Amino acid sequence: MASLTLSGVEKRLGGQPILRGIDLAAQDGELVVLVGPSGCGKSTLLRTIAGLELPDAGTVKIGARDVTHLAPRDRDVAMVFQSYALYPHLSVRENLAFGLKLRGESKAVIEERVREVAAMLGLGALLDRYPREMSGGQRQRVAMGRAIARRPQLFLFDEPLSNLDAALRSEVRVEIKKLHADLGATMVYVTHDQVEAMTLADRLVVLRAGDVEQAGPPLEVYRRPASRFVASFMGSPSMNFVEAAVEDGALVAEGLRLPVPAGRDVARRALVGIRPHDVALADGEGALAMDVEVVEAMGFEAYAHGSVGGRPFVARLEGERAQAVEVGQRLALDVAPGAVHLFDPETERALE
Amino acid sequence: MSAERRRPGALLAELGVHALLLGAVAFALYPVLWVVALALSPGDAPEASILPIPTAPSLRHFEAVVTTTSSEGVWLFGRQLANSVITAVATSVTAIVIATPAAYALARFDFVGARSGTKALLASQMFPGVAAAIPLYLLLNALSLLDTRSGLVLVYATSAVPFAIFQLKSAFEGIPRDLEEAAMVDGATRFGAFVRVVLPAARPALAITALFAFMTAWNEFILAATFLSSEDMYTLPIVLQRYMGEYDAQWGAFAAGSILVSVPVMALFYALQRNLVGGLTSGGVKG
Amino acid sequence: MRAGLLTLAALAAAPLVAPAVAAAQERVEVWHAYRGEEEEGLRAAAAAFMRASPDVRVRLVAQPFGAYASKLESAIPTGNGPDLFIDTHDRVASYVAASLIVAVEPADRAAFEARIEPAHRAALTIEGALRGYPLSVKAPALYVNTAFVAGEVEALEDLAALSLPSGVYPLVMEAQSAYWVSGLFGAYGAGLVDEDGGWGLGTDGATRALEQLRGLVEAGVIPRETDGALVARLFTAGRAASAISGPWLAPDLPPELRWRVQPLPIVRGAGGEPMRPYVTVEGAFVASRARAPDGARRFAEFLMLGEGALLRARRARQVVTDEAAWASLEDDAFLRGFRRAARQGRVTPTHPHMRMAYVPADRAIRKVLRGTFGAREALAEGGRRFDDVTRALPAPVEPAWGLLALGLLMLGAIALSIRRLREAPLRAAIKQSLPAYRYVAHAAIAVGLLVILPLVVGAATSFFAGRGTDMYFVGLANYADILSARGGDLFGNGSFWLVLLVTVLWTAANVGLHVVIGVALALLLYRPYLRLKGVYRVLLIIPWAVPNYVTALAWRGMFHFEYGAVNTILERLGLERVSWFASWVTAFGANVATNVWLGFPFMMVVTLGALTSIPKDVYEAAAVDGANAWQRFRHITLPLLGPFLAPAVAMGSVWTFNMFNVVYLVSGGEPDGGTEILVSEAYRWAFTRGNQYGYAAAYAVLIFVILVIGTRLTARAAEARA
Repeated sequence: MASLTLSGVEKRLGGQPILRGIDLAAQDGELVVLVGPSGCGKSTLLRTIAGLELPDAGTVKIGARDVTHLAPRDRDVAMVFQSYALYPHLSVRENLAFGLKLRGESKAVIEERVREVAAMLGLGALLDRYPREMSGGQRQRVAMGRAIARRPQLFLFDEPLSNLDAALRSEVRVEIKKLHADLGATMVYVTHDQVEAMTLADRLVVLRAGDVEQAGPPLEVYRRPASRFVASFMGSPSMNFVEAAVEDGALVAEGLRLPVPAGRDVARRALVGIRPHDVALADGEGALAMDVEVVEAMGFEAYAHGSVGGRPFVARLEGERAQAVEVGQRLALDVAPGAVHLFDPETERALE
Repeated sequence: MSAERRRPGALLAELGVHALLLGAVAFALYPVLWVVALALSPGDAPEASILPIPTAPSLRHFEAVVTTTSSEGVWLFGRQLANSVITAVATSVTAIVIATPAAYALARFDFVGARSGTKALLASQMFPGVAAAIPLYLLLNALSLLDTRSGLVLVYATSAVPFAIFQLKSAFEGIPRDLEEAAMVDGATRFGAFVRVVLPAARPALAITALFAFMTAWNEFILAATFLSSEDMYTLPIVLQRYMGEYDAQWGAFAAGSILVSVPVMALFYALQRNLVGGLTSGGVKG
Repeated sequence: MRAGLLTLAALAAAPLVAPAVAAAQERVEVWHAYRGEEEEGLRAAAAAFMRASPDVRVRLVAQPFGAYASKLESAIPTGNGPDLFIDTHDRVASYVAASLIVAVEPADRAAFEARIEPAHRAALTIEGALRGYPLSVKAPALYVNTAFVAGEVEALEDLAALSLPSGVYPLVMEAQSAYWVSGLFGAYGAGLVDEDGGWGLGTDGATRALEQLRGLVEAGVIPRETDGALVARLFTAGRAASAISGPWLAPDLPPELRWRVQPLPIVRGAGGEPMRPYVTVEGAFVASRARAPDGARRFAEFLMLGEGALLRARRARQVVTDEAAWASLEDDAFLRGFRRAARQGRVTPTHPHMRMAYVPADRAIRKVLRGTFGAREALAEGGRRFDDVTRALPAPVEPAWGLLALGLLMLGAIALSIRRLREAPLRAAIKQSLPAYRYVAHAAIAVGLLVILPLVVGAATSFFAGRGTDMYFVGLANYADILSARGGDLFGNGSFWLVLLVTVLWTAANVGLHVVIGVALALLLYRPYLRLKGVYRVLLIIPWAVPNYVTALAWRGMFHFEYGAVNTILERLGLERVSWFASWVTAFGANVATNVWLGFPFMMVVTLGALTSIPKDVYEAAAVDGANAWQRFRHITLPLLGPFLAPAVAMGSVWTFNMFNVVYLVSGGEPDGGTEILVSEAYRWAFTRGNQYGYAAAYAVLIFVILVIGTRLTARAAEARA
């Protein structure tokens, strides 16, 4: 296993910048998740690490080796593709052995590794099947097996779960987490799904338009989003935003009145961010006045969709009283202490 | 078994479909059966009949075609059959070898000249061959390849290449890039990925392209008759043409020879018919 | 390069080495287009010759007749030809013009003159020099079935008066072919060409001959649409009292048939003149670049006089020219019959225009026999076609202008490419393209050298004119000629524009039907629970697997007036027989039927492949939306198939546009060249109209330009719609 270091990686395609000088490091044995909306450059970045794309500037190092200009095959990385990219003319056994064979491993070693991987992933009964004879989940497993069998320095995953149904997806997610723990391997994982990102990552890297928007442990990113973009991207339902003015040490907008959190330096205006989970029904007047338009009652909890001062707002409510919320009602809400995020309305960066 | 429940009227529709298909099959086979009947009827009086049935079937024509010998007593039909097979197989291999990498490059790389090259290939298909026979003759003469199988193979193969390139290019375009990238990450060079992964995945298209190239060579006689000038080099279509004289034609022998020439191609079609329609990559990549 | 150098070296060394080889054994390569008995006879003669002259080895090479002349034309000048070849005298003039043969002098001039008839010597004499060794003569004779006719048939009219069992024709002959009718024309003093090479059938005599022939066909004396094979089959089966045919008919006649051979009868309508068919003199010719000219001459002399002649008479059943040989053939009634027939005929004129007269004459005869035209009118039109084909070639143009234009063009191209190469982005792009070039280089070289280069050279010949390989620069004269319909009516018979119109119709009709039938069958085969699907599919592909020249001929047979299956079916259905090649519509229809048959399996297979890529749920969605079967086809299948079918349709259109075999073999352009398409027209200019390769090349270039423009326009239109 080895660490991964990217510095100043730039890539342009047809004149359009795709990656704008990315710096990134993954420790030995770390699972780094690259997350972002489509078009943010996360797949290109992964392919740059694999060597499938060559950067226009910057360096890629695996361990101490500068691999920037090496062909994919000389980098000792393995990759799991979104489409799985199983070789259609080869059986599962041959798919698993393919990379080892190309590297000139002996027959005995190959057989041993295939058996090992098959046992690890429960592929034993499928070894003589062809890709077209298997279900999506089985193919996905073979794709992972093919990577594992290689024992590479670095694993790359390109949205490996996006072609699976929801139930299978969470199952395999857990499995990947376990595999990572068992193998202790360095992994880079690309996804646009924030649940995958949150649950899998040792370290989360949020990309936006070819730039790293924020990097850090997932909870850290969740709790302290560095920008409005990160804040809205991580967490479901998304964070609510209301623009407020500062008046007498309080944040004030129509339907909102909150004290400025201690230690925050707010000049005149701020974008107030509140997660739906961080509000509760107030006993009295409350900090927020929300007009309810739609209620999704889920039993224990309920989601109220509506607006605060004309800005769309979602609140997650729980308890007995939550079940009584009705459309058309004006709710008084309290905000959990310390759960108010403030962003600069111009730069949209977090205000510290 | 009971999964297929039929609506009322489905049986009638099915019968209708079979009737239509049988009609089409009759249309497809009728002229061929006339050729067969002609080959099997030595000296039948011409009758206005509907069914192509010979009255006194005999294999005389087939025997005459198959047992042709040269003035030196060499069994010509055997040699000529061998010539045809060697020429056609070599053509098909050569055409594939030439066309495959080029088609791959056109499908995967963006390079200067790709568009104009494709256009030139397309254009070459539009120019009637009539005008090229004499220049080709002079060219082969300059290369000392007249009256050789290699010369003929070279001409056939190159004339089959443009179509083969189009055919294979679209086949390669249908193969996801992921497959090669996976192979490259797994340790293959670009060319290695092409050979080990792309080519096997394109097997049906390769088989069909090879079949077409085979047929180009197998059925061609104008160039063959011009370039070859010894009987032990002749291919079977020239032999067929030999049955058509200035004043008379030996139709029975011509028909018998035609059938002998057609059978291998029919067999190949039969063997490759699945590839004609189906693909192989469908299961490997996406659910 | 290497091979070229070796050849040069070999050529340089040849004079030094040759005598040494000759001393050991001279190898003589002899080309011929004989088959059957004639080939065996020639083999026997060659064997006898080699026994007598052990220092010469003769190698006989049988050539297909169809490519014989053009092959000699390309092989001899490049040194790949034979030493000696056997051919008919009517091509000698063009061989002399192209310097393919050398003048010869018989070893024993006295014997030659004593034993060979003056007419036969004259046939091979051009500009006062003997050009080949006359070997044998060929002329049609009358085969008489003695079961029906006791004595010698005196007059053509007597045959019509015979009382015969039903189903037996008085006379079978290829009445629709000018060669076989030449005897009748001759009785009326007419020939295909006159002495100056002009149209010879414009005379009253020719008109009367043709009217008489039409009368015979209409009275049922001679069957309709008879080709050589039908003549043979009818006479063999005892269904004809007499037949006009050549010696090749005899070997196939069954032993139980009683028959004899006599010269063609007289024609009372022509004042009792005998029918005078064209007589062909076959000769042996020493090729101009023969490696073993001496051996070739010796073998030719052996074939001509004495033992060789006798062997050929006995084994090859040839009417040999050696008078001395006939002394020992006294009891051979068959050969004597043919000899008499030949003596009654006239030697085919050697004028180069002669060969160009056959097609217009054939067409005129056919029109008349089918009753669509009067004899005079048809022959006059034939004359116009003939004049068209034999018109004076355009005057040469100073090639300097062409060279100047070419030079300027090339300079411009070079300047342009240099300027573009100077641009930095292009250079960078080329540098990036280098890896791709490793994949395409060999294909580019192979296709460039063996496909593009010959086509370019072929296209360049369109600036030259001439008959045969002897060509001179004429600039754009060929194009001007073609595009102005050679000065005639722009949409007149044989005009480029009319043929273009026919070609476009031809392409549209074929491709349209290919798609309709192909898609329909594919949809039938695509039904999910269809039984026997595989069997149907295999059987429906068969038309694709049989060589198209074979099935085109089968289809032609099926459209035969008398014995064709199509007419037989029509008759059983209570309909009239149709003379398919008599009118444009039916002839065109016959061509289209054949080509549709050949082409639908391709579209069917393409469609089957495309159908598998249409997801099933789309149909389910449409069904739920209430679409009926037709609407589902119209609004789902068709639009989704479009992108798959478009390239197949484009490819199919190009192929059909240039589908030479079907037109040439099924209708042969009939009636009157009306169903000819551009590519078959190009072929005719190259091969049946005096080898005007330059003119044919100009047609090819025009076809190319039309196709390029056509495909561009349709591609644009498709893009605009998308």
